[in-house]
Amino acid sequence: MKKLQILLAEDDDMLASLLNYRLEKGGYDVVLKNDGKEVKNWLNESLPDIIVSDIMMPYFSGIELVDYIRNELKSTIPIILISSASNEENVLSAFEMGANDFISKPVSPSELLVRVSREISRID
Amino acid sequence: MNTRKLLTQLSKIEDGLDQFSFEELSASEASDLKKTFESFKNGLESKVFGENNAETVIVGNTEHPKITTAQTESSLIANVSHEIRTPLNGIVGFIDLLQETKLTKEQQELVKALGLASNNLMVIINELLEFSKLSSGKESFISTEFNLKNLLNELSYLSKTLIVNKNIKFNLNIDRNIPEIIIGDPSKLSQVLLNLLGNAVKFVEKGEINFTVSLKSIATNELLLGFDISDTGIGIAKDKLEKIFDSYQQAEMDTHVKYGGSGLGLSIVKEIVEQLKGKIAVSSSLGHGTTFKLEIPYEKATQKAKQPKEKEIAKIDNTKALAGMTVLVFEDNLLNQKLITSRLQNWGCKTVITDNGLYGLKILENHKIDVVLMDLRMPGMTGFEITKQIRNNSKKSIKNTQIIALSADFSTSDKELFKTLGINDFILKPFIPDNLLEKIINSKNRKMTGQESKIQIMDPISKTNTVANELNLDEVLEDCMGQIELLDELVQLFKKNILEFIGKTKIHLLNDDFEGVGFTAHKIKSGLRMFKLNSLIETCEQMSLVCKSNKDIKHLNFLYEEFLKEYESIEPKIELEIQRIKTK
Repeated sequence: MKKLQILLAEDDDMLASLLNYRLEKGGYDVVLKNDGKEVKNWLNESLPDIIVSDIMMPYFSGIELVDYIRNELKSTIPIILISSASNEENVLSAFEMGANDFISKPVSPSELLVRVSREISRID
Repeated sequence: MNTRKLLTQLSKIEDGLDQFSFEELSASEASDLKKTFESFKNGLESKVFGENNAETVIVGNTEHPKITTAQTESSLIANVSHEIRTPLNGIVGFIDLLQETKLTKEQQELVKALGLASNNLMVIINELLEFSKLSSGKESFISTEFNLKNLLNELSYLSKTLIVNKNIKFNLNIDRNIPEIIIGDPSKLSQVLLNLLGNAVKFVEKGEINFTVSLKSIATNELLLGFDISDTGIGIAKDKLEKIFDSYQQAEMDTHVKYGGSGLGLSIVKEIVEQLKGKIAVSSSLGHGTTFKLEIPYEKATQKAKQPKEKEIAKIDNTKALAGMTVLVFEDNLLNQKLITSRLQNWGCKTVITDNGLYGLKILENHKIDVVLMDLRMPGMTGFEITKQIRNNSKKSIKNTQIIALSADFSTSDKELFKTLGINDFILKPFIPDNLLEKIINSKNRKMTGQESKIQIMDPISKTNTVANELNLDEVLEDCMGQIELLDELVQLFKKNILEFIGKTKIHLLNDDFEGVGFTAHKIKSGLRMFKLNSLIETCEQMSLVCKSNKDIKHLNFLYEEFLKEYESIEPKIELEIQRIKTK
């Protein structure tokens, strides 16, 4: 069976490598991008099965990303956002725009795995 | 020149008047007095800087963007700069507030752009202000003994932190014949070098940066130092090179777009170098790189300070240079405590270390102390307060104790201030052991007490102080599913990020770039959180807060020093923790 692909958008290199490792161990094919611009460029070429994105990113925030995916790309792929305490308010507007779930920093990799598999199981 | 001095004096008096409470004068009398004063000053200014006064330049030059002489320019800017900065601070502050209100997406974009533009404007104005202060002779230069090698090492360390992500080699070469201690203005030197090194880092994508410091000539009292900074960057075309030190010139207009800055950086460098009575030259070949050459004269440190040092160095190897002395050390940083104790014990003297002012004062009451080493920045009672208490003590033996201050801050290295406070000598941290030894020996000589002192045997205070930052990476290891390689990788990334934070923040602080500091402080927090380094997180949060609220640069510098101090004590613990986990 083909592995499911996750787009991981995270500019913090420590968190990125930790999550990358755990998601790969969890059986996913992970594409890691470090800033919003990279993410956007990559999305123009292909679509993953699920997206995990930090809200605070250079050039293109997680919120803008949700907006772009739902309204420009017209895609319904699951999006999980990573938020820090300081931008929890933004999470609300992200939900309104169509984000599926969010997880707060400090991120527990195990919790993220659970949330990812839950979102995956909801796709028909 | 005399007139200009007079003007400086007058500015001082004027500043004094602002603070004067005009109790005996009526309000109108007072304001008349002030007006008279100002018109007197303006009259003098126009005499000094020429008749082309402020107003004519502002309005008259809009059609001819080419600016007249540097002097008119600077007197104008010096006069209006503060008036520009105050409302601009308001604008920046309100934009921050506006960002926190409910805005539509489009409005958010607009406010963001506003914020960016006003911050850029702030940077430019700060540079202008500095430039005008320099060229109107209002900037003050100090002359003090400083350790050149330490300064150069710090700069090269900073530069290295800025290129960790680039494929650049950084080489520092210092001529061995250069004396370690010289007399001049250390902060101006680091400003100039940091600017040039910063340019090199900015414009080099890959290759190397070579920083060479050479001794050009040496005479009885003076020495001429050469500083060469060459890079393998994009280089500058010949016709542009000629104008590079002119104000408002950057090699290409699009350089500005790509690399930012007001283009005043090099003019400021040139002004400073010239006021230091030095020379600056540049050579470049397009596509191959640029070399800046500086020559700056310095005074030799006094014979007194140099002479005993050479003797003592020989002594250290075979004898215990400080045998029989007892040194009381006020120091709160555990790592520094250990470092100082081991050094002092090597030199054969007894040490008492404490971070508690009252406790230390008690030790002074009950024991014979030859020299006090004092960290000026301690929690609770500061070094200055302790010094005051010692100097006010009724017992002569305590009152006259020699005090050497330890400080990591260039700006506090004002000897005169230290002397008025009753501090006998000072040493900059991080100190070189030989320098410390030299200072202690000097203090012994200064004391001139003929009597043989009875030496008390004292154990150094053993501190069972558990540090607030107890480091435990077990949970992180769990997150890594027990993979030590991954944990190792995270630790390496963490260290790299910290280095980057230290370097970038320093640069931002030097540029009064609050937004920059706020951003770096915010960014480093996530790694700190992963390792649960709570007190460092708190320091960063305070930094962010200061950047958003009152923008107090002194407070920020203090917090930055705190961060460095704390991290210094934490870094070895990370290694220990990794070792512990590996052997588990």
